[in-house]
Amino acid sequence: MNNLNSLQYFLPELFLSASILIIIIVDLLLKKDKKIITAYLSVLAVLVAFFLAYRQYNYAFTSLFEGMIVLDSFAVYFKVLTALSTIIVIFISMPAFRRHSEYYILLLVVTLGMFLMVEVNDLLMIIIAMEMVGIISYVLAGFNKFNMKSNEASLKYVLYGAASTGVMAFGFSYIYGLTGHTNLFAIQQAIVGHSLQPLPVFIAFVMVVAGLGYKIAMVPFHFWVPDVYEGAPTPITAFLSVGPKAAGIALFIRFLITVVAHPASQTTFIQNVQIQAPLLLAVLAVVTMTLGNVSALGQKNIKRMLGYSAIAHVGYMMMALVVFNTRGFTAIMFYMVVYMFMNFGAFWVVQSMTPHLGSEDISAYKGLGYRHPLTAVAMAVFMLSLTGIPPFAGFIGKVYLFAAIIKQNWYTLAVIGVINGVISLYYYAYVIKVMFLDRDEEIKAISVPLYDRVLLWLLLIPVLALGVYWGPLIDLAHNSIGFFFGN
Amino acid sequence: MTGFYIVFLFLVLGMLIVAVTLLLSRLLQPRKREKDKFIPYECGIVPEGEAWIQFNNRFYVIALIFIIFDVEVLFLFPWAVVFDTMGMVAFVEMMIFIAILLVGLAYVWAKGDLNWVKPKPRLAHLAKKKGE
Repeated sequence: MNNLNSLQYFLPELFLSASILIIIIVDLLLKKDKKIITAYLSVLAVLVAFFLAYRQYNYAFTSLFEGMIVLDSFAVYFKVLTALSTIIVIFISMPAFRRHSEYYILLLVVTLGMFLMVEVNDLLMIIIAMEMVGIISYVLAGFNKFNMKSNEASLKYVLYGAASTGVMAFGFSYIYGLTGHTNLFAIQQAIVGHSLQPLPVFIAFVMVVAGLGYKIAMVPFHFWVPDVYEGAPTPITAFLSVGPKAAGIALFIRFLITVVAHPASQTTFIQNVQIQAPLLLAVLAVVTMTLGNVSALGQKNIKRMLGYSAIAHVGYMMMALVVFNTRGFTAIMFYMVVYMFMNFGAFWVVQSMTPHLGSEDISAYKGLGYRHPLTAVAMAVFMLSLTGIPPFAGFIGKVYLFAAIIKQNWYTLAVIGVINGVISLYYYAYVIKVMFLDRDEEIKAISVPLYDRVLLWLLLIPVLALGVYWGPLIDLAHNSIGFFFGN
Repeated sequence: MTGFYIVFLFLVLGMLIVAVTLLLSRLLQPRKREKDKFIPYECGIVPEGEAWIQFNNRFYVIALIFIIFDVEVLFLFPWAVVFDTMGMVAFVEMMIFIAILLVGLAYVWAKGDLNWVKPKPRLAHLAKKKGE
């Protein structure tokens, strides 16, 4: 479809772009003590974009802007998810960032980037979309300008980001050299149609996996994660571990399905090039979750611990990538939603409790179960849900992930996954133990504002509800990927 | 892989040409070692001190702002060339593009970055000097 006709299918992105520009101007006109209005406007803008994106759900598969971008329900599913994550993160940030209005505008720009990331269909657009998310993320990670750790986080993020994007772009150049196309569909046709040399294809694939793996914090491209997660402002840490990661996984899945899959079946890897993709992904998944879990064991800082746990969760999700079928992708898409709620919940507890506890160390949570029971119980639910213990949403998510791989007889992988779940129980349960079993002599009760409590409930309810009634969501995920395969 | 021999040829030829020209000038050039030739070029002025000095970091800000308009002009040239064939669409597109850049200009203007001496540097975190 040509550029002008594509615009009508590009409404959420157009609306976001326009509102970013308008909000920048409005923000300049606001007085210094009224800057919080920018946050309200940003929430409104993302909400409208959310609904505009949601309305696109039943559109047929459309190729926009001369094939640069595709619109399908898979993209819409992730657009809705990432928009929701931005809305939640704005609400999480509001109490702490009352004067820093640029912060919210930058979040909107990241949202626009994530929208593009989940619908790209061209090698050049992949780089543009990923950089759009990446560059703004570097700024956001270093947003606490006068905090040395925040500066360090930002710098490390920039260096790793630049290197991995460079590697990925180099991989893309190999792909272009081998196939002569930048459009993903055309690349697939070229790979199937010609007998290519296996070695360059394998090298290109590994390089692209390196670039995407950095984005989703996959081992061995994870070294930036703990430092960035510790140094960045807590809401940004939460955001980086959900929004951009979801977009990265969506991009990864799209790349695998459109380029590496065989067009006839779409659920098997292309046979005429021996790139060993399933085995490679399986090994990476195992390494990712094991390293994430084992490193999380010894962490004293709760943000760092959650950072390593985020790596481990990427490992779980990659497990389902290995089987490469509808069931696996559905499980990942479902798990991403569940993970969004429980992870944001845990980070919200950290964010709202840090001023009261005075520290981000796990030991500071000592006796929280007696000082403010609601928060402590909610934190316990998030921790158990992250471990994957019934009856919480995390358990259902894990069940689908494991079911997907066991159906395809990846038993060893499943066993390693379960062992990892047991390891993770230690450090998640340790937080609960500190909160409830350790207590001070005198109990200093904490008074939590109404806003904090309402937001806590809003994050807690989905985790509880999805644990007992998850049918509609899994159907939605299944349909989204189904439409995707249908075309 | 057959098309790649051109690339290879190009690579070899490129290196060869560079090597040959460097060698030629090396052989042909008259060499007179004078003291002035070892001074770094600086608009005809004798350089003072080292090149590694601290300078006002507002140069960076000005350079960044310059890029906004630099890129704008860069895009205006091809636009002007195809304007006759594209007509109204091109006009609207370019107006939107310029409007986006104008938002950037408005931002730096309102933040006081167009002034060489920034109006009110509120650096509350820095200790104030005595007498201020």
